[in-house]
Amino acid sequence: MDSNKIEALLAKYWECETSLEEENELREYFSQRDIPAQFREAAALFAYFGEQRNKQVKEIAFDSKVVERIQTSTSANRSKVVRLMYNFSKIAAGLIVVVVATYYIRSEIRKTTPQEMVDTYSDPKLAFEETKKALMMISKSFGHAEEQAKKINLLNEAKENIQEESDTQEL
Amino acid sequence: MDIESFQTRVLPVKNKLYRFAFRLLGSEEEAKDVVQEVFVRVWNGRENMEAIQNWEAWCMRITKNLSLDRIRTWKRRNTQPIESSFDVQEESLTPYESTEINESMQRVGSLIEALPEKQRNIIHLRDVEGYSYQEICDILELDMNQVKVNLFRARNSVREKIIKINAYGLK
Repeated sequence: MDSNKIEALLAKYWECETSLEEENELREYFSQRDIPAQFREAAALFAYFGEQRNKQVKEIAFDSKVVERIQTSTSANRSKVVRLMYNFSKIAAGLIVVVVATYYIRSEIRKTTPQEMVDTYSDPKLAFEETKKALMMISKSFGHAEEQAKKINLLNEAKENIQEESDTQEL
Repeated sequence: MDIESFQTRVLPVKNKLYRFAFRLLGSEEEAKDVVQEVFVRVWNGRENMEAIQNWEAWCMRITKNLSLDRIRTWKRRNTQPIESSFDVQEESLTPYESTEINESMQRVGSLIEALPEKQRNIIHLRDVEGYSYQEICDILELDMNQVKVNLFRARNSVREKIIKINAYGLK
């Protein structure tokens, strides 16, 4: 090929104005040996591109591997959905257990504790009397407790007296 | 689409997908894995394939997205596949190939590696794979302007560096 034409094509190539066909022409030109020295930089570049294009998957069994994967993938895809459903059902089962457990525990707690909370008297007067009785009982025990506490007070007083005396002795 | 037409129509693009995934991930094993995953997705979405105008670009876009997902999970786990972190070259070249590959081509390779990601991807899609600008827009989900600007920058920065190396022997 005419080296002037190549030069013109190369100028276009560096400007990125070449079409694919023109780039093919260049590729063909540079695939031959004995490139004039003036095109050295382009020759190195095109030689590199050519070498890259020759790179191939080296594995011989590659195609059959792909086909095998494709054939299993159809079922694998389905199992993906199945797996997803499986996970969902696991979570759902967990939630159900928690909900049922809290329901039972709540009803159990209700059953055992709240007996006293339920109204015992239907007549308000009677209830009032009973309450009064209960309060009286509490206040009575309070009074009793106070008497006991007074004894402790006595003890305290004695202690203070002893302390005072020992203080005056020291002086 | 049945498996047979999948094998004849879709599987042959594996090398393009593989090269692109390798460009993004830098690991042969990871790239192969991603390509397999892409094919599984394509197979699962085969009903929609007839509606897609350019299914090859669509495959490339899935490749890009899956590769970027992987990079994101590496970053999150703060780990990288051993091969890329230790920078092991696993390209097994025949003695013939390794003597054939000249130094300048490897230098170009490292220059392209050093480009920003967007530029690197665009120059790969255009100059290695020969995609049209519109296809590159679809694959990388960029607008036309960005694609052109980045391709221009990529080609010219590589060119300038090659010229510099050739002129002064600088690396």
